[in-house]
Amino acid sequence: MAAAATTGMTAAERQKRLELTELLNAKYQWIDRTWDVVFWITAIFIVGGAADITKLLFAGDWDFWTDWKDPQWWPVVTAFATIIIPSALQWIQWVAWRFPTGATYTCTCLFLASWIGRFFQWHIAETYPLNFIWPISTVPAAIILDWILMKTRSFVVTSVVGGVVWAVLVWAFNYIPLAPYLQPAVFMHHILTVSDVQGIAYIRSQTPEYMRHIERGALRSFLGETQYVSLVFGGSLAILGYWIGQLIGRYLAVWPIGKYIKTY
Amino acid sequence: MAGSIAMHEVENPTGWWNGWRTLFIGCAALLACNLFLWIWDYRFAFSVGLDSSTHAFTTHYRALFWGELISLGAFTGIWYGWLVRTGRALEGQPISPSEEVRRIAVLWGIIGATSLSLYIEASFWPNWDGAWHQTMVRDTALTPTHIPMFYFFFPLSIILALGAYLYGQYRIPAVYAWKKGFPWSFFLLISAAVLEFVQVAFNEWGHSLWLSEEFFSVPFHWPFVTYGWLASGMFAVWGETIIRLLAIEKEARTVEIHTQTAAAGGA
Repeated sequence: MAAAATTGMTAAERQKRLELTELLNAKYQWIDRTWDVVFWITAIFIVGGAADITKLLFAGDWDFWTDWKDPQWWPVVTAFATIIIPSALQWIQWVAWRFPTGATYTCTCLFLASWIGRFFQWHIAETYPLNFIWPISTVPAAIILDWILMKTRSFVVTSVVGGVVWAVLVWAFNYIPLAPYLQPAVFMHHILTVSDVQGIAYIRSQTPEYMRHIERGALRSFLGETQYVSLVFGGSLAILGYWIGQLIGRYLAVWPIGKYIKTY
Repeated sequence: MAGSIAMHEVENPTGWWNGWRTLFIGCAALLACNLFLWIWDYRFAFSVGLDSSTHAFTTHYRALFWGELISLGAFTGIWYGWLVRTGRALEGQPISPSEEVRRIAVLWGIIGATSLSLYIEASFWPNWDGAWHQTMVRDTALTPTHIPMFYFFFPLSIILALGAYLYGQYRIPAVYAWKKGFPWSFFLLISAAVLEFVQVAFNEWGHSLWLSEEFFSVPFHWPFVTYGWLASGMFAVWGETIIRLLAIEKEARTVEIHTQTAAAGGA
């Protein structure tokens, strides 16, 4: 089986594999599991922080409130903002260890960072109810993105197929917790959604009324087809976001290893 | 004296309370500072932090602002002074493999603390800042959420990243000696933190024109994201020190083989 797997390899690739096997099987005096533990745990902070700041500042508002999780903008900006850092980590983990786990690792870090921020800062400190300000989860979509990389072993295919799948799945998996807030409710003689009522009841004094998203069917939203148009456009932007992430992983995280700005 | 210390074989350099001690102490100190600042804001943000023209705001928040800057200045002076003074004494001295491994573990400890600091400034506080500015009227750049975030954890990340480089430059010369040039890894990591501070100025200038937050994902907030991306240089620091660790192991094995061969020949 191993021989069959190596048949398609060039001599250089075989030599590289031999070197890696030697590294793996060597008996080390000082390299032990503590390095792994320290690396994986301390990396959680920078990965979670980078993923969360990217989400907060590119798509934050659509993630902060249930009434901003609309069919028009939410699938577009969220898909783009949340795929960037998972893509970078996919590259790092695939190149370093052939682990198809970069996206899942990142999204788990993001999930923890988002919930810590949302619970302590928005809920405890600012007293917003959690059912108004819960963050989305990208973990299920990340598992699928990693699976696509593992099966295809191609970043191009993962970006094209995975980008579109990402946009659809991020929306689909988070539609489940969102659905209860899209039920109709009569409020001051108007039919609104429950999330609209939340948006009216909990004051955001610095967010003017004209910024508030109100669910409605209108010609502007293609008579209800907006959701699907948005998902396709979100998928296109996710492909772009994936390659921004690749640039970060390849040229900011991996390329600089052992390189110096020479002083003359 | 310094030479004898440098060549001293360190027993178990990666013991949790040996090489990794810096990581635990650094992270514990950061978490303690963060807890203090969070409790301070939780206690005073709503009671005295809403109106910057009051005397109470000055005593609680401007005092905190100056206290942070003075503390950071004193910490930086003492730490950098110690790093450079003791580092110069070590320059040119031979280093035993186990001591070099311990130093790499210490560097990873400082980098781990930098990682935590970057998380606190990039995720923990921006969440409260977003919640605060979308619900409160901003009448100063020194808002209760800005003071811990912009004026403590932002400069602290620069201090930690630069301190990590100073540590490496003097104590891990095989990777970070000055004559090798300035490493791209640290250039990206430090520039991430410095650019973030530049962006604070741009952000506050922007808010002087548009006081209302309206929504958080506004274009003049976008440049904050770039620091999170540039901080990927941290992975390069990890990568190049791992390569050095493998080289140390290889060198140690070669020495061991030579010693065994010589012993066998002598016998």
